[in-house]
Amino acid sequence: MSRSRTPFLVLATLVVVGPALSLASAAWASTNPHTPYQTGRVDAGTPNSTSVVKNSAGQVVSYGDSAITYTTPSSSLATLGQSLFLENCASCHGTAANGVPADGTSGAYPNLVGLGPATIDFWIESGRMPAADPRAVQARRRTPRLDHTQALAIAAWINSLSPAYPGVPNVNLKNANVSDGAALFALNCAACHTIEGDGDALASGTFAPSLRNVPANQVVEAIRTGPGNMPRFTGNLSDYQVADIVKYVTTEIQHPQNTGGFGLGGLGPVAEGFVGLLLGVGLLALVGFWVGERQ
Amino acid sequence: MSEHEQRTPVQLSTVSADDPHLQPAARRPELVERVIALTFFFGVVLLVGFGACYWVNAAPWTLGATLGGGSTLLGIGLIAWGKYLMPRGPFVEERHEAASTTEERSAFAAAIVERGGGVIKRRKFLGGLLGAGMGIFGVVSAFPLVRSLGPLPKGTLFHTDWAKGTYLVDITGRRVHQDDLAVGSIVTVYPEGLQDSDNGQAVDQTVLIRLSNEDFVTQKGRETWGPQGYVAYSKLCTHLGCPVGLYEQELQLLVCPCHQSMFDVTNGAIPNFGPAPRPLPQLPLMFDASGYLQSQSDFNQPVGPGFWERS
Repeated sequence: MSRSRTPFLVLATLVVVGPALSLASAAWASTNPHTPYQTGRVDAGTPNSTSVVKNSAGQVVSYGDSAITYTTPSSSLATLGQSLFLENCASCHGTAANGVPADGTSGAYPNLVGLGPATIDFWIESGRMPAADPRAVQARRRTPRLDHTQALAIAAWINSLSPAYPGVPNVNLKNANVSDGAALFALNCAACHTIEGDGDALASGTFAPSLRNVPANQVVEAIRTGPGNMPRFTGNLSDYQVADIVKYVTTEIQHPQNTGGFGLGGLGPVAEGFVGLLLGVGLLALVGFWVGERQ
Repeated sequence: MSEHEQRTPVQLSTVSADDPHLQPAARRPELVERVIALTFFFGVVLLVGFGACYWVNAAPWTLGATLGGGSTLLGIGLIAWGKYLMPRGPFVEERHEAASTTEERSAFAAAIVERGGGVIKRRKFLGGLLGAGMGIFGVVSAFPLVRSLGPLPKGTLFHTDWAKGTYLVDITGRRVHQDDLAVGSIVTVYPEGLQDSDNGQAVDQTVLIRLSNEDFVTQKGRETWGPQGYVAYSKLCTHLGCPVGLYEQELQLLVCPCHQSMFDVTNGAIPNFGPAPRPLPQLPLMFDASGYLQSQSDFNQPVGPGFWERS
């Protein structure tokens, strides 16, 4: 009985699988067109050395244009901030936030005085501080232990010790251009974070983290303050350009259009070829067996 | 000819039409035939559909679907035809012996040696010409190979377009001002006017890093090269020329993405890990009257990987 039925089952499977596969591959091939990373097209924003806004003490307050607003947290939060700091941060950074813990070892931990609210906010709101392991080579993003207001309060207290910039950013993506953002990302960020934003290993156990789940304002904070080993990007990127980058990160990187169905981690043609080979050759082998089978 | 006639004629086995070997593999051939007809029919329909889709310029996926589906169905039908409707076999074909007889072979060898050898020996002139032709052909066919190596590099391997007073510009062509970068910042710079050129994008590309707010000396003898903490290094790895664009500001390392060479930014970019054999060449910097960055001269060494004449 089964002898006569098997070939028809195989035949029916192929009739279904064949067109479905060709359909999928056709859809895969017609995925969204890639942005050409043509460097000459990056012309958004204006030169910054002329548009950087400084206060009377010569500190950079903002980078010129209206795409991002930098706010210094209200000083009325400072009292709450100090108690939160003593509770959560002082065991390493010291009660004066100068990086000297109670045992008096100076230089053991970073001095936070004069860092600016954006830096403090980034480290707390990305969950990196309070540190899970203070001796780790690099802190990792995790669920934040303190909420937005608490982070602002701590930033307000540290800022009250020695006012500094940049303030906590709020980015407006309404006029941001995702295509310019992609080109700027390729130029400035992709070397470490990779063009798909997955991040990669760096020197001495450090790594560039993935950008897949970083909120927009934290991207701005990281660009403007350079947390950890990341360099800062200041006067060479206008606020318009930073907004373009943030738009690329929050759209193309965080919501990639994988029309074919498999993103494969954005690892590129090697991974895609490997999967194609595995599935394709496997299928061909099955067909080969079926063709060669004698009754 | 005469020897062929002596061979025994091949015995072709005659089989009756109802021999099981000649029956199709399928138990119910008429059903299989109908299934195959169906796949052929739908295959043809899809192929006609492909023509129609192409004619009306439909979406690419419809072209892929109809062409792929149509040819898949035709292929399945063909395979099924061959597999289920053709005689089952197996068939064995009798053949006569393939080798020539001993006499035939020795006669042929004798003919080659006696006649052929003599014919070739008599044409020394032609043989010489042919030899010369082949030799010259061998020589001239190397010409395109040599030419494809490109023009001789001459001095270009030793020099870039950086010179005394060249302004540093970013990718948009904007000059870099001393107030532009905060400490810990990095930007890729090019000689002014060449940021979009092949040369600018290749050999001239340079990373500009601000290490501090005071003048920075990366090595003895380079006292004036890093004004206000700005230092500039060639972006070409001295190993194989990859762009060294990964800057870790706490470790003060420039990392090459290709083979993980690491260069100490604060100490003349000497490599302290990886296959890079030499430090990255440093570009001496200065400011013009209004605070824009310029180069003092070309790089202190040839940029990029090593080459034959490099001392």
